[in-house]
Amino acid sequence: MPRLTDKARYWMLVLPALAIMIVFYILPVLGIWEISVTEPDLGFGNYVKMTESNAVKTSFILTFRVAAITTVGCLLLGYIVAYTISNFASRVTPLMVALVLLPFWVSVLIRSFSWIVLLGRSGLVNDTLRDLELITRPLRLMHNEFGVLVSMIHVMLPFAVLPMLANMRGISPSYTDAARGLGASEWTAFRSVYFPQTLPGVFSGALLVFVLSLGFFVTPALLGGGRVLMISEYITYQIQEFLAWGLGSALSVALLVATALVLLVAARFMNLKSALLDRH
Amino acid sequence: MTETTDFEAKADIADIAVERYKQGLLTRRGFIAAMGALGILPALGTKAMANTKEIIVVNWGGQAKDILQEVMCDTYTKETGIKVTVDGSGPSAGKIRAMVESGAVVWDLCDSGAGSSLILEKAGVTQPIDYSIVDKSKVLDGAVYNNGVGNYVYSYVLASNPKLLGGNSPKSWEDVWNVKDFPGMRTFRKSVRGMLESATMSMGVAPKDVYEALGTDDGIKAAIDRFRQLRENIIVWGSGSESQNLFLQEEVAIGNIWSTRAHLLKDQMEEGAFTVTFNGGVVAPGIWVVPKDNPVGTEEVMKFIAHAQTPELQVKWLEAIGCGPANPAAAPLVPAEMQKWNPSSPENLATQIMYNDTWYAKNQIAAEELYVDALIN
Repeated sequence: MPRLTDKARYWMLVLPALAIMIVFYILPVLGIWEISVTEPDLGFGNYVKMTESNAVKTSFILTFRVAAITTVGCLLLGYIVAYTISNFASRVTPLMVALVLLPFWVSVLIRSFSWIVLLGRSGLVNDTLRDLELITRPLRLMHNEFGVLVSMIHVMLPFAVLPMLANMRGISPSYTDAARGLGASEWTAFRSVYFPQTLPGVFSGALLVFVLSLGFFVTPALLGGGRVLMISEYITYQIQEFLAWGLGSALSVALLVATALVLLVAARFMNLKSALLDRH
Repeated sequence: MTETTDFEAKADIADIAVERYKQGLLTRRGFIAAMGALGILPALGTKAMANTKEIIVVNWGGQAKDILQEVMCDTYTKETGIKVTVDGSGPSAGKIRAMVESGAVVWDLCDSGAGSSLILEKAGVTQPIDYSIVDKSKVLDGAVYNNGVGNYVYSYVLASNPKLLGGNSPKSWEDVWNVKDFPGMRTFRKSVRGMLESATMSMGVAPKDVYEALGTDDGIKAAIDRFRQLRENIIVWGSGSESQNLFLQEEVAIGNIWSTRAHLLKDQMEEGAFTVTFNGGVVAPGIWVVPKDNPVGTEEVMKFIAHAQTPELQVKWLEAIGCGPANPAAAPLVPAEMQKWNPSSPENLATQIMYNDTWYAKNQIAAEELYVDALIN
């Protein structure tokens, strides 16, 4: 048997995974692209219809807005959580990490339903407020954008915490110690020495949350009351209710392209490879 | 290299499975699963399937699944010895189409809607109803189609919770749009079906003129605009159970919901917290459709549909789950106290209008687009 070059051996290792990717991912996606231009008629009719539709436009704007707010919310809360876990209380660290991971493993469906129990008209929050006589009429906490955001931030939080935590754990405390030793205040040491080093973690968390939020379905469908119609729910609607597979496919292609654009834009401002793959 | 698989042993296991399936000891699902596990399903092909007699009826699950099984299917099995199983996984038009087009049809009979049955017929994935076996005269007017036939009747009705409205309750769709006298949340369906009619009536259009008013673009826009006005007070329901939940959780005070769900709610809500009026309701038939190349064959399915037309069974069906009989001959058999909950009783039919499929076939998709826009924008 002739000796294989290193390169050939490398490719032989990659090949099975690549084949699976092509058969189960690339080909179906191409199928979707095909449906979007062949059904019901050959051509770009679906895309024209899509750009002309006011509802689609609103839904896209809504999707991006919800994703953006979710991302900001997750970063703010997630940063605090990650910072606390990596810098304090070393003995309870495993417990704290477990508390982040535990909800992460619970089904999104169940977590969203729990929010329904909490935020409903006669839910826990409203009942408590009423018993404390802080309100006389129940607040509308769900079936609107507020409810969707609260629940989405909760669902997405681990995706922000975990990359930031991995990043923060790699930061050596000696840098801030040195800054403190040289006379910097606690705040200055954090702002100009610690914080810049956490940015790769923040970026990868942001990207992860934002991209996942764009295609999110369950939570908005359950808590939106039908008026927070994100694009993925819109796609389901087209395909299941109207059998408009062409338009549904065109919408999903648009969502895919939009997501790819987000990544491209992100790549201009940061090193995607180091943000997503490197663990310091 | 030698072959390690013992095909003969496998073939024998398959024979046993076929035998058990024929005797009714194995469900079709179990049979297919067994064949799949043996890796010989393709080899057996459709031959073994055609020999077996079990009708798989698919509806939308929940309580309706068990009751359909008990009222319509088990009685048929008793009469003919043919096994009928209800699968409650929800035969949405999309699923039926996907099943037929992928060539793996497992369902024999599906509980569909009038609109879907027309779309499916156009897509060429359903079979024509054989009216030499199924009796046309045993079906309400307006529920007979080429590739679909009325199965039961339900309505889009005005339901409300007087407790949340200070003892008041809306009597007409005009009241529903009157937020001043009837404050609170309303629920409408996440689709224009049955909804545009109520919006049109709320503008004072007489029931019989509703579809005429909706016949023009301006008429549709006007109806859609009514929802835009009410937007801040609307929560949308996607499934029947969702509409039921919204009432149970007291999230909404008023709703345009299915009479079948209202029928369940009247028993679940406390006294005085739930009323329904059929005034201005929209009667819609549930429609049987038969997917192309259904495993049990056309004739067997048609015989079952004919069995389900029996008036007595349809009355039982109404008592159990609130679906009105599609067979007009059943109305006189309905017990007096049930009459007012029967969407197809002569009194209730008089105040309602019939769902118009030709209108939906022509306008639905365009109207949905505008409806979604009105709700989210």
